[in-house]
Amino acid sequence: MKKWYWLIATVVILFLGDRMMGKLLENIVLSSQFRYSRMFRGDVAADILLIGNSRGLIFYQPYLEEQLDVKTFNLSYNGLPADLTDVLVKDYLDLYPKPKLVLIDVSLCDRINKELINGFATYASQSKRIKELIRNQDAKVAGGLEASWLYRYNSEVFQRALFYKNKSDEDWLLDRKITEEIKAKLSPDYEFIIKYPEEMPKQLGETVAYLRKQNINVQLVLNPYYPPFVDHITNLDEFIKDIESATQMKVNNYATAVRNEEHFGDFQHLNKAGSKVYLEQLIKDGLLETAKD
Amino acid sequence: MVFNSITFLIFIGLFFPLYFSLKGRARLWLCFLASYLFYACWDWRFLGLIATSTVLDFWIGQTLEQTAESTQRKRLLWWSVAVNLGCLAFFKYFNFFLDSFQILLTNIGYSGELGSLQIILPVGISFYTFQSMSYTIDIYHGKIKHEKDWLRFATFIAFFPQLVAGPIVRAKEFLPQFERERKLDHERIIVGLGQVIWGFFKKVAVADSLAPFVDQCFASPTSFGSLHLFIGVIFYSFQIYCDFSGYSDIAIGLARMMGFDFPKNFRTPYFSKDFSEFWTRWHITLSSWLRDYLYIPLGGNRHGTFHTYKNLMITMLLGGLWHGASWVFVFWGFLHGMYLVIQRLFGAYWGQFLEWIRTPKVVRQLINMTLVYTFTCLAWIFFRATDFENAIQVISGLGNLESFNLDQVTNKFWVIKGFFLIGILLFIEMSDLRLDYRSLLVKNTVFRVASISILIWLMAFMGTFDSNAFIYFQF
Repeated sequence: MKKWYWLIATVVILFLGDRMMGKLLENIVLSSQFRYSRMFRGDVAADILLIGNSRGLIFYQPYLEEQLDVKTFNLSYNGLPADLTDVLVKDYLDLYPKPKLVLIDVSLCDRINKELINGFATYASQSKRIKELIRNQDAKVAGGLEASWLYRYNSEVFQRALFYKNKSDEDWLLDRKITEEIKAKLSPDYEFIIKYPEEMPKQLGETVAYLRKQNINVQLVLNPYYPPFVDHITNLDEFIKDIESATQMKVNNYATAVRNEEHFGDFQHLNKAGSKVYLEQLIKDGLLETAKD
Repeated sequence: MVFNSITFLIFIGLFFPLYFSLKGRARLWLCFLASYLFYACWDWRFLGLIATSTVLDFWIGQTLEQTAESTQRKRLLWWSVAVNLGCLAFFKYFNFFLDSFQILLTNIGYSGELGSLQIILPVGISFYTFQSMSYTIDIYHGKIKHEKDWLRFATFIAFFPQLVAGPIVRAKEFLPQFERERKLDHERIIVGLGQVIWGFFKKVAVADSLAPFVDQCFASPTSFGSLHLFIGVIFYSFQIYCDFSGYSDIAIGLARMMGFDFPKNFRTPYFSKDFSEFWTRWHITLSSWLRDYLYIPLGGNRHGTFHTYKNLMITMLLGGLWHGASWVFVFWGFLHGMYLVIQRLFGAYWGQFLEWIRTPKVVRQLINMTLVYTFTCLAWIFFRATDFENAIQVISGLGNLESFNLDQVTNKFWVIKGFFLIGILLFIEMSDLRLDYRSLLVKNTVFRVASISILIWLMAFMGTFDSNAFIYFQF
């Protein structure tokens, strides 16, 4: 019988090692300069909360802060879906005083992103809402997160937290110009459809309603696309109409607001220079006015 | 029921205690019923197919042994081969041949539609058919005796650890093992469990983590730069290796825990220094099956150079076709056939050239390994591609060297993770050659506990748990 004791030892060591390494990684993540680490640490009280998916990353904070002399915090992440946005916004509001303005790029309604939600398990120990969201969408993953703490760090989100361990993530936007090869893809028959799941505008509507109920100013925008690309989006008007209907708010359509091709990194993303031009436009149009009050 | 699923963990959690609490025939019945249950979880309708193949080959094996007359024996063997290959041809290749015939007719001016049938491919058919056929062929050649116990024979055909994706275990290797008394053996459990966990690591951590990047590359090769595609092809070479060898490791490990010894199916194939060596390291049970039941009966290398090359090409082309009903698989086999022929033609000169330019032995070996790996990857492109157009797109994307820089590589998260895991894999495989982890696992308790724990932690930390089916299931 004695010769089988190693099995028990393995189980014990597996469990203890998992917990210890999980705790260690949690500390590493929380000490990172990555936006969500700073948020859950309590370091990012802001006047303007910026939200979006990869297209929301172009809300270039340093420039905005310099122009308006306000504090900003950008919650955006590549492929951020509306349901995860809702959770992050509510977590933010639990931790900080109300921001004066919440600026949302409505492109975040364009997908369901289960993988990213699971990836946010990296912050599950900080947020009951994230845990709940994961449990609602995938009970197996939720079970896995309880069984193994290491599993919480099995994601791109964790890698980013490591990448930004000792450096700011505020420069996280494209710093390149759109290439000729990319431009060449826009053949006359090229077609782009914004495939947004039905429930995402509805979800955004709920978030907006929640914010407005708290007396927080909300502005909805559609960030710029590479202008020739816009002509190939077949359902842009319909998309905007559906968002407006779900949120009961006007969407400020900036899809074609930046005309200079040099200001784009690809069809859907402004580069750093473009982002400055765009932010200037938003300021000029008075969309960010309430943040200065 | 895939190995990397909760259902299988429950299945195995119930099976093993029961297996070791039973003895003799009761245990054999358990193996048989568990194997049929395992197969039924895929699609119960095909139980009839596997049962038919079993009954037929059992009967033919019995009759072959009782028959002395040569013509009658030959006829019986042909029956076995025809029915087995007939089933395989119908379920796997019917629509492929029909489509190919249709294209041929269209090319010669016939405009009619031949239509097609909705045929579901029974999982594992290519594996158990070959296993079953080897039994009757070996009896015919007098290499083995007929198995008198039908339950043993049926369990041999349907044995669940290797039923759906090998290794292809021949009757002469498997059936005698039923004679052996199998007790709960501490050493077997350690080595078997170690191999199962290593197999899971290869599948769950390495293969499935590389899969999304590879899928993206092959889904739209024109959207990516050459460095992105280059990484995609490297990743695929490791994805397929870890996916398939991972399955084999799990199968061999489970069998070992149950008291059965299966042959090795992989031996670090990407360290091969020539293509002949590659085929003694990659899917060993299939390549040795093809060698013994196809290449050698065709004449092997006994009838001169031309016939040797012809036999090599036929074997590799059919080996390619065995993998799937598509011309890209045939072309993959063709490429490997060509590699073998070219190696036979010029290998000696190449070796002399490397010696002539005074390259040290280690460098020579490294050059050869790199060459074999590169050409193997080239062939993998066709193996993975959906069709020739897709393969050509990938190859042109690689060849034009446009955007060969890191900025143009998207999803760097997958890239970092992928190379990290490949690094771990190679480190373990290379160090195993020197350290012999198997004996360390048995002898050193600390090493055993630590290595099992580390692999499981790595799986939790880096694994992909979407219960992806193994690639070779489709074959």
